[in-house]
Amino acid sequence: MVEFKDVSVTYSSGVDALNKINLKINDGDFAFVVGSNGAGKSTLIKLILKEIDATEGTVIANGYNLKKIRRSKISKLRRTIGVVFQDFRLIPTMTVYENIAFVLRVIDAPKKYIKTRVPYVLELVGLSDKMKAYPEQLSGGEQQRVALARALVNDPKLIIADEPTGNIDPELSYDIVELLKCINECGTTILMVTHEHNLVRYFGGRVINLDGGKIVFDEEVGGNNENK
Amino acid sequence: MRISSIGYLVKQGTTSVWKNRMMSFASFCILLVSLMLVGFSVLVGINISSIVSGIEDKNEIVVILHDDISQEQTDNLFVQIKELSNVSNVEFYSKEEAWKSIVEDMTEEEKSFMQYAENDNPLPDTYRVKVSDLELMDITTSQLKTFGGVESVQSPTEFASALVSIRNIVALVSSTVVFALVVVCLVIISNTTRASVHARRKEINIMKYVGATNTFIRVPFFIEGMLIGIISAVGALILTRFAYNELYTVLNDQLKLMNIIGTKSLYAFDSIALPVTVCYLAAGTLIGALGTTISTGKYLKV
Repeated sequence: MVEFKDVSVTYSSGVDALNKINLKINDGDFAFVVGSNGAGKSTLIKLILKEIDATEGTVIANGYNLKKIRRSKISKLRRTIGVVFQDFRLIPTMTVYENIAFVLRVIDAPKKYIKTRVPYVLELVGLSDKMKAYPEQLSGGEQQRVALARALVNDPKLIIADEPTGNIDPELSYDIVELLKCINECGTTILMVTHEHNLVRYFGGRVINLDGGKIVFDEEVGGNNENK
Repeated sequence: MRISSIGYLVKQGTTSVWKNRMMSFASFCILLVSLMLVGFSVLVGINISSIVSGIEDKNEIVVILHDDISQEQTDNLFVQIKELSNVSNVEFYSKEEAWKSIVEDMTEEEKSFMQYAENDNPLPDTYRVKVSDLELMDITTSQLKTFGGVESVQSPTEFASALVSIRNIVALVSSTVVFALVVVCLVIISNTTRASVHARRKEINIMKYVGATNTFIRVPFFIEGMLIGIISAVGALILTRFAYNELYTVLNDQLKLMNIIGTKSLYAFDSIALPVTVCYLAAGTLIGALGTTISTGKYLKV
């Protein structure tokens, strides 16, 4: 569960990125966050990941009050969140297997579990045959699926997908969101930031529209599969 | 933390040396040159100090005794001299020994002439006194002059003070050079490790996002830095040994020079190999490990 209570963020440059935001994303929700550049989408994600602090208000993510959280607990908070970035952010010196296994090593998972879990998630994203490949040997779509596998390998409560389709072919975009929808059906909360309105219209669901640091729209919209 | 996790981190650190071989090589070269420069400067400084000390040891005060003093007075004088705080060694040199030494250096003709004068040896008995601190030679000389039975005291005080000045200058110059080199090398090493870590800032950033603790991220960097440090130290040690031995051989072949400074004034590498090896390895390991670990700190604040 993620909750924003009267949250404002003003950067040191004086820019007001978020202005008195109130938002609640329940466990098991799938929400699109849309908005133009500078609307405050990235700031929203940075707050949840505790990359920045709110100037005012309270942010609660997966049971952690981010205003009061100790620095040493930030890594624990992040272990409950899987993140998928637009630029994939895979470690180039590690193979696909090692990139995914790294998340499990961080949580001190047993070797046996790692050996069974990593191939399992790679199978889920359809990349069982790419286990030994390095990120540079994969296409954009494949890299994003590896990033997705990495995000879900430790079974997080929440997955944040920050423009996950921004760097891949439009055709593959639908596959990625389809995958996210599948993961959501298993109970994982998904927060997907995008400015691809076609995708939002196609899949439908909860849409949160940000503009000028404020929520201007937060409602369920119906999907339209024929737009694909 | 599980043992397998520790093993994983160690393995990560070890394999990173090869995976990031370009930056590893740059760090290795910088560390190798730095260790060699500083190490060689220290070795040269130590040897120069040793040479000056060798020359200092050859300086002694000659205490000339009255002709008419008894054996008992001579023995008492030995005790009195020995008790002076700045005196490190006293040796009695009889007039017979002095005569023998002079005659030995003469030609056969001169020797045959001198044998007639042997029974009327004009040379005095002397004490040869070595001091522990050349700077206090003046005071020691004055004290010796006050003792009964002493006719005169010959002391190379001017040469001694010149030597003291040389020793002080050598100490100042060598420590300044070493200090300057250490500072310059640390700046270069710090920049190299920073550049090496900067190149992998995204990697660190990703690790932070997936929930890795600072320790989990730092340990492989620490091991990687340590390994590069050890390899550089071994390389620097081999090159230093080679260069030092070459210089040592060249200097030892200069017979005239060795007569002045004393053959034992220069340290053979093998006689100082252990402390030099320990210092190189310790410096290489510490600089490599700490440099890399400190440099990662900047990128952990995410």
